[in-house]
Amino acid sequence: MDDQDRDALEPDVYPAPKGLWQRVRRSEVWRSAFRHPQLDTPRGRALQSFSNLFLHVYPVKVPGRVLRFRYSWRLGYILTVLFAILNLTGMYLMFFYTPSVASAYGDMQQLRTGVGFGQLVRNVHRWSAHLMVLAAVLHLARVFFAGAYKQPRQFNWVLGIGLLVATLAFSFTGYLLPWDQLSYWAVTVGTNLVNYVPVLGRILRDLLLGGAQIGQATLLRFYALHVFVLPAALTVLLALHIWRVRKDGFAVQQPTSGAFAEEATERPRVPAAVPAGGAGGEGGDGAPRVRLLGVVDRQSVTAEERQVDDTVFTWPHLLVRHVVVGLATAAVALTLGVAFAAPLRGLANPELTPEPSKAPWYFVGLQELLSHLDPLIAGILVPAGAIVALVLLPYLDRNPATEARRRKVAVLLFATLLAAAVALTVVGEFFRGPGWRFIPPWRHLYVDL
Amino acid sequence: MNLTRRDLLRRGWKLGGALLGVALGWTAYEALRPLAGAGGGGPITLGSPADFKPGTATYFNEGRLWLANAGGHFFALSQRCPHLGCRVPFCQSSGRFECPCHGSVFDIGGEYVQGPAPRGMDRFELGLDNSVLVADTSKLLPGPDRGTQDFLTPPAGPPCTRS
Repeated sequence: MDDQDRDALEPDVYPAPKGLWQRVRRSEVWRSAFRHPQLDTPRGRALQSFSNLFLHVYPVKVPGRVLRFRYSWRLGYILTVLFAILNLTGMYLMFFYTPSVASAYGDMQQLRTGVGFGQLVRNVHRWSAHLMVLAAVLHLARVFFAGAYKQPRQFNWVLGIGLLVATLAFSFTGYLLPWDQLSYWAVTVGTNLVNYVPVLGRILRDLLLGGAQIGQATLLRFYALHVFVLPAALTVLLALHIWRVRKDGFAVQQPTSGAFAEEATERPRVPAAVPAGGAGGEGGDGAPRVRLLGVVDRQSVTAEERQVDDTVFTWPHLLVRHVVVGLATAAVALTLGVAFAAPLRGLANPELTPEPSKAPWYFVGLQELLSHLDPLIAGILVPAGAIVALVLLPYLDRNPATEARRRKVAVLLFATLLAAAVALTVVGEFFRGPGWRFIPPWRHLYVDL
Repeated sequence: MNLTRRDLLRRGWKLGGALLGVALGWTAYEALRPLAGAGGGGPITLGSPADFKPGTATYFNEGRLWLANAGGHFFALSQRCPHLGCRVPFCQSSGRFECPCHGSVFDIGGEYVQGPAPRGMDRFELGLDNSVLVADTSKLLPGPDRGTQDFLTPPAGPPCTRS
């Protein structure tokens, strides 16, 4: 379609050039980069989505109920924003960090005192990482309780589990990089969990550490995983995840007609069945203009049934909400970064184990479980079983209902397991002191995040 | 068996793909696994047995090990807790090894006493060379099973880990 056609279809799009700005926007250079102008017409909004790489991630229209914050709590989107924040802050930190046992700790100190915004960026990076793990777990729970893992979304649930595992690996590999006492011993405890894998435990741990214990090889491996392998894996998984969200439909429940009456429009159910003579124009009943896609036999023309169209345009309705939520997420990460400094203990010392030594908070529940049960059960069977059970869940759950009240057993079981995991984490993180003794937080708080 | 040319080629591709996958996996493992010499350790001279009193444990930084004298029986004990890898210090007052991380306790012979550890402390191979104790830190043997109590004695005093 050349510009003349465009102008003919949308006469208001390209008004006569007035002023420098409009001249720029009509210039060949501008229009070669931005193929379609911003139009406040249904067609314009659709074209804008189609012709924009970033907007193309979204469908042109989404069900109106998606606009409600409480529909999804925007957790998937918040996770994407946090991943973006982590990428940006991580890139900044890479300019000032060397993955070497000799210099890593010094680089961290230098970040605090000798790099512009170094401490703040590190704080935001660390808090965003914690928030990402938290948001991923909440997202998983939200999707479960909404029954959104059921057909046709089974595989996207599996991809989501992969993303959760990648997120945990991301956070864990980053934990070692400061090379202080906290990171050294938290990762020591964390990696020794692998030892309990029957037969392969030692081999797996040695592969992870690059030796019998944490050292230069481990730091380099964790760095490579953290800044290249995991970002690449997470990006691919995320792209697949979002793609499947679109392919499987953007919302779970059946449309509730009239929920967004102000946005609702009417559309013919069978677009090809155009009344004779109605092609290309607007019908007397106010039906939208459609194109004649083919000449049909008069006898095949069927009566139109009308249904309420509950969908709204992504741009601007959903996109504006996403921008607001994205800014709010960034504000929370920034506020936490300003208020709470990321910890940096003394230089890593293999000869001195601090009391107590806790794994990163998302693995503390496992560590707590390990103090009660046999290591093979607590260290391997429980976490591996949980991952396998989560992956298989959509294929084992044959109940087609999505409402919580019609799947009480599943909801109760999941809620119980989730509560148990939270309880173990809280006890391990807040109620454990030296020697893993039970010490209430009001007596002394042994927490490092 | 009626095998068409297309079937044969299809199977060939699958077999080739599988072989390529195995080759890639094996190559990656060979590239990433620690080399035999990396951190493998070697013989470390500890001293004459007469230098170490019964009921004491002496730390050797070069081998990251404790030399324990359990009533005349010597053990070169790895400092790593068999539970989750924390460094296990020797408590002079109780005469036992007490892990600060999760509260595992081992007697002077490195045998399991209490806590979440799955076994006793791991031991390096120990021998005499011209009447001098030599530990080989390249040869680590798993600690004794839970329930082994050949050297267990009541604690000599209060434990070191704070409550």
